[in-house]
Amino acid sequence: MKRKPLQDSPLQVDISDIDLSPDPFCMSFNFDLEPLKASIDRFGVLNPPYLLRNSDTDTHFTVVAGYRRLLAVRELGWSDMVCQILPDSFPPFKALLLNLHDNLVQRKMNEIEKAMVVQRLTRFVKHEQIITQFMPMLDIPANRQKLRLFLGLEDLEEPIKVSIAVERLSLRVAGLMMSLGTEDRLKINELFTTLKWSFNQQWEAIQWIMEIASREGRSIKEVMKDREVTEILHDSRMSNPQKLKDIVKVLKRRRFPSLMKAETEFRKGISALPLPKGVKISPPPFFEGIDYRVEIVFTKGKDLRDRLEKLSHLPGLDKITDFWKGPEYR
Amino acid sequence: MKQFTIRRILIERGAESDSLAKMIPKRLPDIPKELVDSHDLALPEGIEEMDKESLRIIHYKGEFLKPCPGTKRYICCGYQILNVGINCPMDCSYCFLQSYINQPSLRVYTNLPEKLDEIGEYIDSFPERIFRIGTGEFTDSLALNYLTGWTDYLIPFFSRRKNCILELKTKTSSVESLLKSRYRERIVVAWSLNSARIVSSEERKTASLKKRILAARDCQKAGFVLAFHFDPLLYYPGWDEDLEEAVKLLEKYIDPESIIWISFGSFRYMPALKWAIKRRFPKTKIFDGEFVTGLDGKLRYFKPIRIEMYSKLSERLKKWYEDLGIYLCMESSDVWKQSFGWSPKTSPSLSRYLDHRVRKLMVG
Repeated sequence: MKRKPLQDSPLQVDISDIDLSPDPFCMSFNFDLEPLKASIDRFGVLNPPYLLRNSDTDTHFTVVAGYRRLLAVRELGWSDMVCQILPDSFPPFKALLLNLHDNLVQRKMNEIEKAMVVQRLTRFVKHEQIITQFMPMLDIPANRQKLRLFLGLEDLEEPIKVSIAVERLSLRVAGLMMSLGTEDRLKINELFTTLKWSFNQQWEAIQWIMEIASREGRSIKEVMKDREVTEILHDSRMSNPQKLKDIVKVLKRRRFPSLMKAETEFRKGISALPLPKGVKISPPPFFEGIDYRVEIVFTKGKDLRDRLEKLSHLPGLDKITDFWKGPEYR
Repeated sequence: MKQFTIRRILIERGAESDSLAKMIPKRLPDIPKELVDSHDLALPEGIEEMDKESLRIIHYKGEFLKPCPGTKRYICCGYQILNVGINCPMDCSYCFLQSYINQPSLRVYTNLPEKLDEIGEYIDSFPERIFRIGTGEFTDSLALNYLTGWTDYLIPFFSRRKNCILELKTKTSSVESLLKSRYRERIVVAWSLNSARIVSSEERKTASLKKRILAARDCQKAGFVLAFHFDPLLYYPGWDEDLEEAVKLLEKYIDPESIIWISFGSFRYMPALKWAIKRRFPKTKIFDGEFVTGLDGKLRYFKPIRIEMYSKLSERLKKWYEDLGIYLCMESSDVWKQSFGWSPKTSPSLSRYLDHRVRKLMVG
């Protein structure tokens, strides 16, 4: 079936007559205008922006599609350019879809831009339709939880949104941040992005931080201002990966004090044993099971026999599975 | 008797002609009714995911009697679940159903009365076995009883059988229908217990601890055998003093001699449950403990913490009465041993221990 044309018409428009605020159709966030400016400077605007005529504001036109092109030409000092003007009767929902499709075919949208789309769609369609029709189009898993998450992203602070857009902050961590106050989440964002935590590390750490605060009856801010954490962060002799590793250790010790103590006791007990070279003993994960493992590295059968022989005469092996319970068990 | 808010009744096509499907709407004459398809979840926007205020009447096509799934890695009591429905009008923050069920609404199965003969035949075909059967796994055994009349037909049915007991497990104090019943044999009335602090902070819409124990006292006086389940035990500063108070209430109102068993279980959860709970109860503190991944993939308190809770509570209860049939739900043999000084070692052995309790207290 043939689609009806848009019935738009070209018009030379003064840039100052265009409202260049991102609402209500724009879906661009944290972009670099320089490559676009360079291209326009060399070849001009290949596809003209689409505008709607305003009836009730000071500026004459609203941007439907081509927001970045218009920003670029403004920065290049153009005073006017040819734009396509959509008919006055053009429905706003259709205008939003026009821009969405224009964006989808041209580029990969970042998560904040997808959130902008979702937010704008709520003005026109029900949540159920966003989930079933638009979220798959945006490559977002189609469920209510994800819809809630994306609707919440727009309310986050600018630095956090930038971290999400550039994929330095995990989306699900951002979801958890929504339950925190502004100051707390900005602090966490700063910690995660300056030390370049992996998404998995972020996920684990934010839970620990929140749970430490809950366990100790302290605020997130107080947990983050912990003396040990602050000292690590300000230690100029340490590299970022070292800092990260040590902060993880500090947080883990505070979050799981008994478990960490057990692990330490086990390590102490093992290191006090004169184990033969190449022999390693590991406890069951979290001491939950009852099976311990011994690993023997050897290159010759004779080495294996020697190590087994030494092991069999080693004093203290009987108590090895109790080492983690404390020094009195060694 | 506590009645819960029901805002709509959804009758699934295929259930209309079941006897319960005709009876339940009559008990809620002013509530709107709707005939729906089974695939139509009828969960409009704005209705909370668990949809605890809609009663969905279903002709159940699955098996009604199933063994508790358990896991090979921990010792399981060998319980049989009688599946009368799923979801519960009360709202405990820790409830596993929040991530277990993928369909909303309080769902009650209306063709159970018609299936009872089949269940009876199955039970009778294993005369040497003891069937310990409960309805309180996927819903509360009594909370919706004022609508479903479960006790009216389940109690006479199970009371007549020779080799089984029916355990009705609840967090309510709604025992009126039990007290009116003329059957006592092979019926165990059980309460989930916790400290009063946990009841008030985490177990929304349930009866208070004292009301539960008073209801238990009434049932005991009326001749019912009792059971209690301290599950999930939660570790927090002051947990032991709080549980001491709960035990004191038991001591005050309950005769320990006709308690068939008391089980303990510590809070454990599949990873996905945490987020379902956090979404619904963002302020809950139940995740503050030191949880580690267990052998079945569920998160549990670090072993020494569990052992501390089990051993202290067990010691305290044993001061009250030595022979309470205390057992652990889904724990490893070494935790049993370190908590109680003995272990059944295997699931069949725990089953035998509990079957023995049944024979001793209930079956001729």
